[in-house]
Amino acid sequence: MRSRVVITGMGVVSSLGDSPEGLHASLCEGRSGIKPIQLFSTTGLGCPLGGEIKDFDATKFLGQRNLRPLDRTSRLVASAAQLALEDSGWSAEMRNSEELGLVLGTMFCSVHTISEFDRRALDAGPSYASPMDFSNTVINAAAGQTAIVHNLRGVNTTISTGVTSGIAAIAYATDLIRSGRTRALVAGGADELCFESFFGFDRAGLLCRSDASIGDFPIPFDARRNGSALGEGAALLMLEDAALARERGARVLGEIKGHGSSYDCSRGHNDKASIEAIASAIRQALNDAFLLPHEVDCLSASANGSVAGDRHEAQGVFVGLNGQTGGLPVTAIKSMLGETLGASGPMQAVALLETMRDGVLPGILRLEKTEDGFPLKMARAESQEADVTNGLINSIGFDGHCCSLIVTRPDEP
Amino acid sequence: MVTSIGTGREQFWKNVLAGRSGASAVESFDTSGFNVHLGAEVKDFRATDYVTNLDAAHLGRASQFAIVAARLALVDAGVQVDKLNLARAGVSLGTTSGEPQEVERFDDHYVSQKLNSVGAEFVSRYPCHVIPQHVASELGFAGVNVMIPTACAAGNYAIAHAYDVLRAERADLMLAGGADSFSRITYTGFARLGAIAPEICQPFDRCRKGMIPGEGAGVLVLETLSRARKRGARIYAEVAGYGLSCDAHHMTAAHPLGDGAARAMQHALDESDLQPEDVSYISAHGTGTQTNDRLETIAVKRLFKDAAYRVPISSIKSMLGHTMGAASALEAAVCALAVFDNRVPPTINLNEPDPDCDLDYVPNYARELPVKVAMNNAYAFGGNNASLILRKWELSN
Repeated sequence: MRSRVVITGMGVVSSLGDSPEGLHASLCEGRSGIKPIQLFSTTGLGCPLGGEIKDFDATKFLGQRNLRPLDRTSRLVASAAQLALEDSGWSAEMRNSEELGLVLGTMFCSVHTISEFDRRALDAGPSYASPMDFSNTVINAAAGQTAIVHNLRGVNTTISTGVTSGIAAIAYATDLIRSGRTRALVAGGADELCFESFFGFDRAGLLCRSDASIGDFPIPFDARRNGSALGEGAALLMLEDAALARERGARVLGEIKGHGSSYDCSRGHNDKASIEAIASAIRQALNDAFLLPHEVDCLSASANGSVAGDRHEAQGVFVGLNGQTGGLPVTAIKSMLGETLGASGPMQAVALLETMRDGVLPGILRLEKTEDGFPLKMARAESQEADVTNGLINSIGFDGHCCSLIVTRPDEP
Repeated sequence: MVTSIGTGREQFWKNVLAGRSGASAVESFDTSGFNVHLGAEVKDFRATDYVTNLDAAHLGRASQFAIVAARLALVDAGVQVDKLNLARAGVSLGTTSGEPQEVERFDDHYVSQKLNSVGAEFVSRYPCHVIPQHVASELGFAGVNVMIPTACAAGNYAIAHAYDVLRAERADLMLAGGADSFSRITYTGFARLGAIAPEICQPFDRCRKGMIPGEGAGVLVLETLSRARKRGARIYAEVAGYGLSCDAHHMTAAHPLGDGAARAMQHALDESDLQPEDVSYISAHGTGTQTNDRLETIAVKRLFKDAAYRVPISSIKSMLGHTMGAASALEAAVCALAVFDNRVPPTINLNEPDPDCDLDYVPNYARELPVKVAMNNAYAFGGNNASLILRKWELSN
């Protein structure tokens, strides 16, 4: 008998604030975190906008401690972890007696730290490269740093599957708890906005271009979409064995009911294979949750404005849910947060848990018209009321990774 | 496996048992600005012999290593790819740096103000998750696909995850292991930490002066026992269990009392339902730095008590150098072969015993002994510890 996995806390640091309620309220009001980028110069590059966290200050969350060894990604993660631990009531004392774990999904951790370390050695000679910066060039740096800050001595795993990293991390953590390997973990994802990744995405033609009719904005599922905008942030969930949560009297926000993943070997280049991979991940998640397609009552889509990707997702959902998408409320919060990569799926989970609480689903900002035959009829620009028991979260990479997660409202309020 | 001392199981195992060293002067980049020059690079590597469906010219070096190791592993296992249910065939890999040579190329363009020469390949080749993607696309594997970049312990994490995936019945067959290519960034960092040996890698020797950065890939084929028996597969070993922990102490230095490492070993023994006395062989992390080898010895003693002095322990990093994310995958392969073959590889260059490292490190010569249970220990930056236990599969019947 596998253990049930419940969510007892959330921590989020985003371009739309650092509380789940605040984030959800902003999304529902159609406020966007996508603004001109200040972190670095975008001169000569495509989209000048990004979902940047302005004036991010980790001391607000972590107090006056030595944060010098932590780069931006590590600070985002350590801050979100502080919020998730606080929210779920795992005090520092309790962490001494229980080996709490951390499973972090990240696409890059910090390619900025990595690249800067190398460039310094190239510019000034290897003897000028900083040993402290070197320890942050590993892709598990943010998870390691966060474990030190919060004394998380249990499982510490970093998962990297591109955009889907965060949902893959939650899935990995869920299975660790289900199998009884561990009882409680912080799980989610993070990525920072930096010149290096922004430049790479721009060169790859993945960012939206300025267009007279839509400006510089990414509009998921809209017929006029021409790319995504990059964002940043960290979103973490406190996951624990339902029995442990009950034992310690923790407030339960939701349950991880099921997950599924698959890989599109064509990496997005073959429509049929791409759609089937998305549908397969959804089917596996439903099977894992013991649910039927009609029992899903909300979709938080991965759609980010990508021309082919959004179309594949809409069709994949249609196939995966056996065509039962006509009355399915849909949101795509990347219209307001941008593509936050490893953070994106957990960010969707946080927003969805808030929707379960207050019954309002954010709209898809600026959505006006969809393509002919678009199967997700309830996708709309404005927020809508939605009574959600079982929510489906999709997380789909631009190069083949597909993950689906089913989150369920707690049994009793 | 793809290593500096041989590609493919037979060559690798023969050379590991013979105590061959893969260290030589670094050729990947100019080391004249460094005070150390040794590396364990894979020489004369030709991916095109194995990469048939993808275009090898568009793949990073670690992806090429991983594909070659995957193809070799499938052939060695006698698995016919066209007979698999590809939707239930997956890939779980570990790495330290992913495709570092791709970001290094970006950096070269950046410092010479030629960023205009950078194209779409930076995002399509650099991020570490593309390595398992490339392996899967080459083979048509559409199941679970994951990269676990937990640095120098990543191979163990990836194998452990594949084991969980199979036990949860999320796949029928998993390719699991690790890959890393030689990296200027990694070399620079370890040189700055004073962790690279100037002449010779000699784990557990009193005069040890550090590790030697290496590269390569190790991939294992994991499947459920029932499936393996059904197809009449040769079984090297059974995964008995694993344990993970975090020091939560320091980014680069291990816990001074071996706390996290001992907890990982304990979790692995608990899951395998074994006692320390049951372990026949330990494949050490054994990098060859003063601190690692001393603290690793403390951790083994902390958990094994008196039994620590009776269990043979060796470090193949003395031969292969530190192949980073590939290291514990290659070491897991060694554990599987040791269990199958009842021979354990030596720690080479071990001539002068260190009073702080007073266990049996199988100095210089391979040894024949009954190996029922092998423990594979791996430690990483970030305080990430992973212990994996393999055993003879007959034992569980």
